[in-house]
This record gives sequence, C-alpha cells and structure tokens, in this order.
Amino acid sequence: MTEAPTVALRGCSKRFGERIALRRVTLTVHRGETLALLGPNGSGKSTLLRLVAGLSWPTAGDVEIDGVAATRLARASRGALGYLGHQTQAWRGLTARENLTVMADLHRLDAPVVAAALATVGLADRGEDRIDGFSRGMRQRLAIARTLLHDPTLLLADEPTTGLDTDGLAMLDDVLERRRGDATVLLATHDEAFAARHADRVVRLAGGEIVA
Amino acid sequence: MIGAALTLAGKDLRLELRRREVVLGMAQFVIVTLVIAHFALVAVGDRQLPKAAAGVLWIAVLFTALLALGRAFAADHEDGALDAVLIAPIDRGAIWLGKVLAQLTFLAAMEVVAVPAFWLFFFQTSGPDIRALLAALVLANVGIASVGVLVSALAQAGRARDVLLPVLLLPLLVPLVLAAVVATLGSFPGGDGSVRALGFLALFDTLFVLLAWGTYEHLSGD
Repeated sequence: MTEAPTVALRGCSKRFGERIALRRVTLTVHRGETLALLGPNGSGKSTLLRLVAGLSWPTAGDVEIDGVAATRLARASRGALGYLGHQTQAWRGLTARENLTVMADLHRLDAPVVAAALATVGLADRGEDRIDGFSRGMRQRLAIARTLLHDPTLLLADEPTTGLDTDGLAMLDDVLERRRGDATVLLATHDEAFAARHADRVVRLAGGEIVA
Repeated sequence: MIGAALTLAGKDLRLELRRREVVLGMAQFVIVTLVIAHFALVAVGDRQLPKAAAGVLWIAVLFTALLALGRAFAADHEDGALDAVLIAPIDRGAIWLGKVLAQLTFLAAMEVVAVPAFWLFFFQTSGPDIRALLAALVLANVGIASVGVLVSALAQAGRARDVLLPVLLLPLLVPLVLAAVVATLGSFPGGDGSVRALGFLALFDTLFVLLAWGTYEHLSGD
C-alpha cells in the first residue's frame, strides 16, 4: 500500500455489552481525501477510527481498506497506517528518543528518521529526557512524531489537537497540509475550525449514527 | 519476527531496570515464602523433608511467577502503547515472543535468588541433583512464560483482570508443576530419576509454545 488507500465502512455497527457505540455506519473515504468526523463525546468517532485501524472488530458490517478487511491487513499494509489515538501510545520510563527508536525498529527504519521526527515536532532538545516529566502537550507532540515516523499513507487522528499550545497547533497544521492529497486522512475532532482548515469533507456523528 | 521480539523484550527489560516494579517484588516474595515454609516444616522428619521441600519450591516459583505475569502488559496499557505495536508491520506473534523472553529473564533473575535460598533453608548437606533441578527450572520457566503471557493477554480484556489471570492460568499449569515436582523428587539421592518428568515438561513446552504462538494473533483487539 504505497499510494493513499480508499477506506470503506458498510453497515458497520459496534456494540460494547449493552451499549451501542456505532449503528449501521456506511461511509467511504476516497484515496487522498481528508475527512473530518465531528461530534460530541460518545458519538462514536473514536470507535470508528479503532475499527479502521483494525484494533477493534465490528459487531456487524464490514470495514475495508483498499478492499481488504481492516482486521486482516497484511503486514506491509499495516505499515502504511498511522494511528494517533486519544492516548499518547508511549511508554513512561523511556525517553522520547527511546520511544521512537522502538517504533522505528518495528518499522525497520534507520536512526536518522527518529532524529528528524523529533525535530519536526519540536522535541529535538528533549529527546534524551524521560517522558514521565513531559506535559500533556509534549506527549502529544511525541505521539504525532510516532504516528508520522514511517510516513503513513493512511492517517487516523483522534483529537490530534489535544494539549497542544499555539506552536504545537501550527506544527500540526503544517504537518497535515504537507500530506494533503498524498495520504488518506480521517480526523476525529470537536474543533470545527480545525476541521474546516484541513478537511475536504465533514461527516457529523451523534449517538453512533451519521447525522450529516 | 525475532528482531521485533528482541526489540520489544529489550524495551521491557529497560523499563524494569528503571522502574524496578517486578523483579525485586518477586525476589522478596519467593524468599518470604521459603522462610515461612522452612519454619513450618521444622516438625517434618528428615525422610519426608525432601518431598515437602520440592513442593514448597515449586509452589513458590509458580505464585511468584504470577506477580510478573500480572504486570506483563501493564506498561503497554498505561498510555495505550500496545495499540501502536499492534498496527506495526510485524508478525503479532513477535509481541507474544517478546513478552515471553522478558518473562523468562524475570523468572531466571528470581530463581538466582530462590535456588540458593532453597538449598540453605532445606538441605545443608545432600539435596537434589543440581543438573536435574536446573533442567526442570529451565523447562518449567518456558512453559510458565509461554502460557502465562497468552493468558495474561486474554485476562487484560476482562474487567476482573487481576482475578482472571490466576483463575485461568493455574489450572493450565497444574500438569507442568506436578511434572516439575516429580522431576525434583526423582533427582534426590535414591530417587527414581528425572528423565521421564523432564521429557513431559519438554512435551508440554512444545505443545503450548505452538498453541500460544498460533493463538496470540486472535487475542489482540477488542
């Protein structure tokens, strides 16, 4: 999967016990498109992104990336996926550089990629610090660096602006703009202005359903 | 596969060196268990002591292993780092193998303390054959770590994860621990020998390593 993929959800539902997180969602994100998912807390945005990432199985319906079920992607195709979750997905106790080096090793990337990623998110001078002392915004920067480390062509970002200061937001704007058209992007956000800046299309979720 | 597993195991070992959450607790637990058993078994005669001591050692090893297995995925769940690993372009069996390698290191570190203490408390003169005992420890460690990591991953998905791990794991490990006890008893002077019990442990390891490796892929995700 070297070019940006197409993502398709067909009649997709997800239930956690008695709670229905997503109801019969049908949605296509076209190759190279940036789509913003807007909606209040609990509307199903994060669940939808986890389904596309293959981290969660749909209770009903299908989630496909270029025609392949998201939970059955080949290893190489998983390598084209970048997932920025609502958690920072880093190990406390390791430094910023060590966190990225583990992920770079798993993606078989060389060490210079780690230094470049740290510089991109403004953490070049904090690479040797353990992330236990990082603020939420700095951890978010590290999470962005980790997500972009392998230059994914399918980018899933769940509330990517969380904790970022003005400089951090500018960095994120720049990063997303540079990928526009080259990657298929799904953004889940509350921030209408952020969605308007980056999205080619906006889909609104409420109660697990597409409402607009 | 092996490279990814070594990367992940190295990460776990580095975290343990910095946080010291697991091995020190294991060492303390196993020593306290052996000390209590030592005093409790004072009244047991010299003829019965080897049997009781062999049982004590393996009970201590088994329950101490639970301490480490209960925390096997804790750092990965703390900030959701496991998600990033799950979508990496690696065989998901490498995640299991990395955890097994880390757990084997923790178990070995604990046993470096436990075995001399076992000797000190129970056998000042003639104990079991050390080669047979070490072979039993190595084989049992492989079984405990490979099954334990799989069950630990399974237990993470449930709400009562702290209870689920021992409830699911201990019954699975009963045959392994019984074989380890028999191997230890057989290695005492005048014992029946340990070869058959060690062979059973090797068979258990082979079966469960293959089963755990093949199953882990399907446990990851919600």
